[in-house]
Amino acid sequence: MNTTAVSALLDQELSTRSRTGHVLLLLAASAMSAVVGSLWATEPALPPRTAVAFAVLTCVGVCWAAYAAWVLRSRRVLLGLQRVVAARMAALFSAVALFGALAVGLLAGKPAAWLAALVFGAMLALATTLLVRAQRHYARLCRRRAELEQRFSSPSPK
Amino acid sequence: MSPADQPAHDPLADEWLVVRCQLGERPAFDELIARWQQPLWRYARQLSGSDAAADDTTQDVWLRALRGIARLRDGTKLRPWLFGIAHHVLMDRLREQFRLPLVSEGDMDLEALPASGDDPLELESELAALRDGLARLPTLECEVLTLFYLQELSLDEVAQVLAVPVGTVKSRLHRARRLLRHQLGIQGGRG
Repeated sequence: MNTTAVSALLDQELSTRSRTGHVLLLLAASAMSAVVGSLWATEPALPPRTAVAFAVLTCVGVCWAAYAAWVLRSRRVLLGLQRVVAARMAALFSAVALFGALAVGLLAGKPAAWLAALVFGAMLALATTLLVRAQRHYARLCRRRAELEQRFSSPSPK
Repeated sequence: MSPADQPAHDPLADEWLVVRCQLGERPAFDELIARWQQPLWRYARQLSGSDAAADDTTQDVWLRALRGIARLRDGTKLRPWLFGIAHHVLMDRLREQFRLPLVSEGDMDLEALPASGDDPLELESELAALRDGLARLPTLECEVLTLFYLQELSLDEVAQVLAVPVGTVKSRLHRARRLLRHQLGIQGGRG
Protein backbone atom coordinates (compact mmCIF):
# COMPACT_ATOMS: atom_id res chain seq x y z
CA MET A 1 0.00 0.00 0.00
CA ASN A 2 1.72 3.21 -1.13
CA THR A 3 1.75 6.66 0.46
CA THR A 4 -0.79 8.06 -2.01
CA ALA A 5 -3.29 5.36 -1.15
CA VAL A 6 -2.79 5.93 2.57
CA SER A 7 -3.14 9.68 2.11
CA ALA A 8 -6.38 9.21 0.13
CA LEU A 9 -7.65 6.94 2.87
CA LEU A 10 -6.81 9.60 5.47
CA ASP A 11 -8.57 12.34 3.48
CA GLN A 12 -11.65 10.19 3.17
CA GLU A 13 -11.70 9.10 6.80
CA LEU A 14 -10.93 12.51 8.31
CA SER A 15 -13.33 14.53 6.13
CA THR A 16 -14.76 17.40 8.22
CA ARG A 17 -17.45 18.04 5.63
CA SER A 18 -18.80 14.52 6.01
CA ARG A 19 -18.86 14.84 9.81
CA THR A 20 -20.63 18.21 9.70
CA GLY A 21 -23.15 16.84 7.22
CA HIS A 22 -24.00 13.91 9.44
CA VAL A 23 -24.33 16.11 12.54
CA LEU A 24 -26.75 18.36 10.64
CA LEU A 25 -28.63 15.34 9.33
CA LEU A 26 -28.97 13.99 12.88
CA LEU A 27 -30.31 17.29 14.19
CA ALA A 28 -32.68 17.94 11.28
CA ALA A 29 -34.05 14.40 11.24
CA SER A 30 -34.59 14.48 15.02
CA ALA A 31 -36.40 17.82 14.82
CA MET A 32 -38.58 16.67 11.94
CA SER A 33 -39.51 13.49 13.78
CA ALA A 34 -40.35 15.47 16.93
CA VAL A 35 -42.60 17.97 15.12
CA VAL A 36 -44.38 15.54 12.81
CA GLY A 37 -44.65 12.88 15.53
CA SER A 38 -46.20 15.42 17.92
CA LEU A 39 -48.75 16.48 15.30
CA TRP A 40 -49.56 12.86 14.52
CA ALA A 41 -50.00 12.01 18.20
CA THR A 42 -52.06 15.03 19.26
CA GLU A 43 -54.13 16.30 16.33
CA PRO A 44 -57.63 15.00 17.06
CA ALA A 45 -59.28 14.90 13.65
CA LEU A 46 -56.62 13.94 11.16
CA PRO A 47 -57.92 12.31 7.97
CA PRO A 48 -56.73 8.67 7.85
CA ARG A 49 -54.41 9.28 4.91
CA THR A 50 -52.80 12.26 6.68
CA ALA A 51 -52.34 10.19 9.85
CA VAL A 52 -50.62 7.48 7.81
CA ALA A 53 -48.46 10.07 6.07
CA PHE A 54 -47.42 11.59 9.43
CA ALA A 55 -46.60 8.15 10.80
CA VAL A 56 -44.48 7.34 7.77
CA LEU A 57 -42.69 10.71 7.95
CA THR A 58 -41.97 10.18 11.65
CA CYS A 59 -40.51 6.74 10.93
CA VAL A 60 -38.40 8.12 8.08
CA GLY A 61 -37.06 10.88 10.35
CA VAL A 62 -36.21 8.42 13.12
CA CYS A 63 -34.45 6.13 10.63
CA TRP A 64 -32.34 9.00 9.25
CA ALA A 65 -31.46 10.14 12.77
CA ALA A 66 -30.45 6.59 13.72
CA TYR A 67 -28.36 6.27 10.56
CA ALA A 68 -26.57 9.58 11.21
CA ALA A 69 -25.91 8.57 14.84
CA TRP A 70 -24.48 5.22 13.67
CA VAL A 71 -22.19 6.91 11.14
CA LEU A 72 -20.92 9.39 13.74
CA ARG A 73 -20.31 6.59 16.22
CA SER A 74 -18.60 4.03 14.01
CA ARG A 75 -17.55 5.55 10.68
CA ARG A 76 -16.94 9.28 11.00
CA VAL A 77 -16.01 9.35 14.67
CA LEU A 78 -15.90 12.86 16.10
CA LEU A 79 -12.51 13.88 17.44
CA GLY A 80 -11.56 16.40 20.14
CA LEU A 81 -12.89 19.82 19.26
CA GLN A 82 -15.29 18.33 16.68
CA ARG A 83 -17.21 16.70 19.56
CA VAL A 84 -17.41 20.02 21.38
CA VAL A 85 -18.63 21.86 18.28
CA ALA A 86 -21.19 19.15 17.46
CA ALA A 87 -22.53 19.19 21.03
CA ARG A 88 -22.75 23.02 20.96
CA MET A 89 -24.67 22.83 17.69
CA ALA A 90 -27.02 20.24 19.17
CA ALA A 91 -27.58 22.31 22.34
CA LEU A 92 -28.23 25.52 20.39
CA PHE A 93 -30.51 23.77 17.91
CA SER A 94 -32.49 22.03 20.67
CA ALA A 95 -32.80 25.26 22.71
CA VAL A 96 -34.12 27.23 19.72
CA ALA A 97 -36.57 24.44 18.87
CA LEU A 98 -37.67 24.20 22.52
CA PHE A 99 -38.38 27.94 22.78
CA GLY A 100 -40.19 27.82 19.44
CA ALA A 101 -42.39 24.96 20.58
CA LEU A 102 -43.07 26.67 23.92
CA ALA A 103 -44.00 29.91 22.13
CA VAL A 104 -46.40 28.11 19.82
CA GLY A 105 -47.85 26.24 22.82
CA LEU A 106 -48.39 29.47 24.78
CA LEU A 107 -49.64 31.62 21.90
CA ALA A 108 -51.69 29.12 19.91
CA GLY A 109 -52.49 26.61 22.64
CA LYS A 110 -51.72 23.67 20.36
CA PRO A 111 -51.32 20.37 22.27
CA ALA A 112 -48.82 19.21 19.62
CA ALA A 113 -46.55 22.12 20.58
CA TRP A 114 -46.39 20.93 24.21
CA LEU A 115 -45.52 17.40 23.17
CA ALA A 116 -42.85 18.73 20.78
CA ALA A 117 -41.52 20.95 23.59
CA LEU A 118 -41.21 17.86 25.77
CA VAL A 119 -39.18 16.07 23.10
CA PHE A 120 -37.01 19.15 22.45
CA GLY A 121 -36.48 19.52 26.21
CA ALA A 122 -35.19 15.94 26.37
CA MET A 123 -32.95 16.64 23.37
CA LEU A 124 -31.60 19.78 25.08
CA ALA A 125 -30.83 17.82 28.27
CA LEU A 126 -29.01 15.15 26.24
CA ALA A 127 -27.10 17.76 24.21
CA THR A 128 -26.04 19.59 27.39
CA THR A 129 -24.78 16.35 28.94
CA LEU A 130 -22.84 15.55 25.76
CA LEU A 131 -21.42 19.08 25.68
CA VAL A 132 -20.13 18.86 29.26
CA ARG A 133 -18.55 15.47 28.57
CA ALA A 134 -17.02 16.65 25.29
CA GLN A 135 -15.52 19.75 26.94
CA ARG A 136 -14.02 17.67 29.77
CA HIS A 137 -12.61 15.17 27.28
CA TYR A 138 -11.10 17.93 25.15
CA ALA A 139 -9.57 19.67 28.17
CA ARG A 140 -8.09 16.38 29.42
CA LEU A 141 -6.50 15.67 26.03
CA CYS A 142 -5.04 19.20 25.85
CA ARG A 143 -3.61 18.86 29.36
CA ARG A 144 -2.04 15.51 28.54
CA ARG A 145 -0.55 16.82 25.30
CA ALA A 146 0.98 19.74 27.19
CA GLU A 147 2.37 17.42 29.88
CA LEU A 148 3.97 15.15 27.30
CA GLU A 149 5.42 18.05 25.33
CA GLN A 150 6.83 19.49 28.54
CA ARG A 151 8.37 16.12 29.32
CA PHE A 152 9.96 15.95 25.90
CA SER A 153 11.07 19.57 26.54
CA SER A 154 10.57 20.39 22.85
CA PRO A 155 7.58 20.56 20.49
CA SER A 156 8.56 17.24 18.95
CA PRO A 157 9.96 14.14 20.72
CA LYS A 158 11.77 13.06 17.60
CA MET B 1 14.20 -6.98 8.29
CA SER B 2 16.83 -5.24 10.35
CA PRO B 3 16.26 -3.73 13.79
CA ALA B 4 16.91 -0.33 12.21
CA ASP B 5 13.65 -0.74 10.25
CA GLN B 6 11.67 -0.84 13.49
CA PRO B 7 10.49 2.43 15.03
CA ALA B 8 12.20 2.87 18.40
CA HIS B 9 9.72 1.64 20.98
CA ASP B 10 8.83 4.72 22.99
CA PRO B 11 5.41 4.38 24.65
CA LEU B 12 5.30 8.08 25.56
CA ALA B 13 5.99 9.13 21.96
CA ASP B 14 3.17 6.78 20.94
CA GLU B 15 0.87 8.33 23.55
CA TRP B 16 1.76 11.82 22.31
CA LEU B 17 0.78 10.77 18.79
CA VAL B 18 -2.46 9.18 20.00
CA VAL B 19 -3.48 12.24 22.04
CA ARG B 20 -2.86 14.50 19.05
CA CYS B 21 -4.87 12.17 16.80
CA GLN B 22 -7.70 12.18 19.35
CA LEU B 23 -7.60 15.97 19.27
CA GLY B 24 -8.07 15.74 15.49
CA GLU B 25 -4.64 17.02 14.35
CA ARG B 26 -4.18 15.88 10.76
CA PRO B 27 -0.33 15.89 10.84
CA ALA B 28 -0.46 13.48 13.78
CA PHE B 29 -2.30 10.94 11.61
CA ASP B 30 0.37 11.29 8.93
CA GLU B 31 3.08 10.71 11.56
CA LEU B 32 1.21 7.74 12.98
CA ILE B 33 1.02 6.09 9.58
CA ALA B 34 4.62 6.93 8.71
CA ARG B 35 5.73 5.35 12.00
CA TRP B 36 3.71 2.13 11.90
CA GLN B 37 2.89 1.40 8.24
CA GLN B 38 6.02 -0.62 7.53
CA PRO B 39 6.01 -2.79 10.70
CA LEU B 40 2.32 -3.58 10.15
CA TRP B 41 2.88 -4.33 6.46
CA ARG B 42 5.79 -6.68 7.23
CA TYR B 43 3.75 -8.47 9.87
CA ALA B 44 0.87 -8.85 7.39
CA ARG B 45 3.28 -9.91 4.65
CA GLN B 46 4.84 -12.58 6.85
CA LEU B 47 1.48 -14.09 7.75
CA SER B 48 -0.39 -13.64 4.47
CA GLY B 49 2.43 -14.66 2.15
CA SER B 50 1.88 -12.06 -0.58
CA ASP B 51 2.42 -8.35 -1.14
CA ALA B 52 -1.13 -7.82 -2.44
CA ALA B 53 -2.69 -9.49 0.59
CA ALA B 54 -0.42 -7.46 2.88
CA ASP B 55 -1.55 -4.25 1.11
CA ASP B 56 -5.22 -5.14 1.55
CA THR B 57 -4.68 -6.14 5.16
CA THR B 58 -2.84 -2.93 6.04
CA GLN B 59 -5.57 -0.86 4.43
CA ASP B 60 -8.19 -2.63 6.56
CA VAL B 61 -6.01 -2.14 9.64
CA TRP B 62 -5.72 1.60 9.04
CA LEU B 63 -9.44 1.92 8.38
CA ARG B 64 -10.25 0.24 11.68
CA ALA B 65 -7.52 2.12 13.52
CA LEU B 66 -8.63 5.55 12.26
CA ARG B 67 -12.21 4.78 13.20
CA GLY B 68 -11.30 3.39 16.60
CA ILE B 69 -8.47 5.64 17.78
CA ALA B 70 -10.87 8.00 19.56
CA ARG B 71 -11.74 5.11 21.88
CA LEU B 72 -8.15 4.09 22.67
CA ARG B 73 -7.89 5.00 26.36
CA ASP B 74 -4.20 4.36 26.99
CA GLY B 75 -1.99 5.76 24.24
CA THR B 76 1.07 3.95 25.58
CA LYS B 77 -0.62 0.72 24.41
CA LEU B 78 -0.67 1.87 20.79
CA ARG B 79 1.71 -0.83 19.55
CA PRO B 80 -0.20 -3.86 20.91
CA TRP B 81 -3.46 -2.16 19.95
CA LEU B 82 -2.40 -1.75 16.30
CA PHE B 83 -0.99 -5.27 16.05
CA GLY B 84 -4.15 -6.56 17.76
CA ILE B 85 -6.23 -5.00 15.00
CA ALA B 86 -3.89 -6.49 12.40
CA HIS B 87 -4.23 -9.89 14.09
CA HIS B 88 -8.04 -9.72 13.88
CA VAL B 89 -7.99 -8.56 10.25
CA LEU B 90 -5.57 -11.35 9.28
CA MET B 91 -7.53 -14.02 11.11
CA ASP B 92 -10.77 -12.84 9.46
CA ARG B 93 -9.12 -12.95 6.04
CA LEU B 94 -7.58 -16.36 6.62
CA ARG B 95 -10.88 -17.80 7.80
CA GLU B 96 -12.62 -16.38 4.74
CA GLN B 97 -9.99 -17.50 2.27
CA PHE B 98 -9.16 -20.96 3.44
CA ARG B 99 -11.99 -22.02 5.71
CA LEU B 100 -9.47 -23.99 7.71
CA PRO B 101 -9.37 -24.29 11.49
CA LEU B 102 -6.43 -22.25 12.79
CA VAL B 103 -5.04 -24.93 15.09
CA SER B 104 -1.41 -25.65 15.71
CA GLU B 105 0.33 -28.91 15.07
CA GLY B 106 1.63 -30.98 17.91
CA ASP B 107 4.98 -30.66 19.63
CA MET B 108 8.00 -32.14 18.01
CA ASP B 109 11.11 -33.38 19.78
CA LEU B 110 13.79 -31.09 18.43
CA GLU B 111 16.94 -29.21 19.34
CA ALA B 112 17.85 -25.55 19.82
CA LEU B 113 17.85 -22.57 17.42
CA PRO B 114 21.07 -21.40 15.73
CA ALA B 115 23.28 -18.72 17.19
CA SER B 116 23.56 -15.61 15.00
CA GLY B 117 26.98 -14.83 13.62
CA ASP B 118 28.60 -11.39 13.45
CA ASP B 119 29.04 -11.44 9.67
CA PRO B 120 26.26 -9.25 8.13
CA LEU B 121 26.03 -11.48 5.06
CA GLU B 122 25.76 -14.56 7.17
CA LEU B 123 23.16 -12.84 9.34
CA GLU B 124 21.16 -11.81 6.28
CA SER B 125 21.32 -15.34 4.93
CA GLU B 126 20.14 -16.70 8.27
CA LEU B 127 17.30 -14.17 8.34
CA ALA B 128 16.23 -15.20 4.84
CA ALA B 129 16.26 -18.84 5.91
CA LEU B 130 14.28 -17.90 9.00
CA ARG B 131 11.66 -16.11 6.91
CA ASP B 132 11.33 -19.13 4.64
CA GLY B 133 11.04 -21.40 7.65
CA LEU B 134 8.48 -19.11 9.22
CA ALA B 135 6.39 -19.10 6.06
CA ARG B 136 6.11 -22.89 6.27
CA LEU B 137 4.93 -22.89 9.89
CA PRO B 138 1.27 -23.13 10.92
CA THR B 139 -0.38 -19.71 11.25
CA LEU B 140 -0.43 -19.49 15.04
CA GLU B 141 3.25 -20.39 15.40
CA CYS B 142 4.30 -18.12 12.54
CA GLU B 143 2.37 -15.27 14.11
CA VAL B 144 3.78 -15.59 17.61
CA LEU B 145 7.36 -15.77 16.31
CA THR B 146 6.80 -12.80 14.00
CA LEU B 147 5.43 -10.66 16.80
CA PHE B 148 8.05 -11.65 19.37
CA TYR B 149 11.21 -11.81 17.28
CA LEU B 150 10.62 -9.78 14.11
CA GLN B 151 8.38 -7.06 15.56
CA GLU B 152 10.13 -7.24 18.96
CA LEU B 153 6.98 -7.04 21.05
CA SER B 154 7.26 -8.03 24.70
CA LEU B 155 5.51 -11.14 26.03
CA ASP B 156 2.82 -8.94 27.62
CA GLU B 157 2.26 -7.09 24.36
CA VAL B 158 2.04 -10.30 22.34
CA ALA B 159 -0.52 -11.55 24.87
CA GLN B 160 -2.56 -8.35 24.37
CA VAL B 161 -2.37 -8.62 20.58
CA LEU B 162 -3.47 -12.26 20.55
CA ALA B 163 -5.92 -11.82 23.46
CA VAL B 164 -4.50 -14.83 25.30
CA PRO B 165 -2.73 -15.18 28.67
CA VAL B 166 1.05 -14.70 28.84
CA GLY B 167 1.45 -18.40 29.72
CA THR B 168 -0.22 -19.34 26.45
CA VAL B 169 2.17 -17.05 24.57
CA LYS B 170 5.13 -18.74 26.25
CA SER B 171 3.90 -22.21 25.37
CA ARG B 172 3.16 -21.15 21.78
CA LEU B 173 6.63 -19.62 21.52
CA HIS B 174 8.17 -22.81 22.86
CA ARG B 175 6.27 -24.94 20.37
CA ALA B 176 6.95 -22.51 17.53
CA ARG B 177 10.69 -22.49 18.19
CA ARG B 178 10.77 -26.26 18.15
CA LEU B 179 8.81 -26.40 14.89
CA LEU B 180 11.05 -23.78 13.34
CA ARG B 181 14.17 -25.67 14.34
CA HIS B 182 12.64 -28.69 12.69
CA GLN B 183 11.94 -26.66 9.54
CA LEU B 184 15.49 -25.35 9.43
CA GLY B 185 17.03 -28.68 10.36
CA ILE B 186 19.63 -26.99 12.54
CA GLN B 187 20.83 -26.88 16.10
CA GLY B 188 22.10 -24.09 18.33
CA GLY B 189 20.79 -21.75 21.00
CA ARG B 190 18.99 -18.42 21.27
CA GLY B 191 16.90 -16.93 24.08
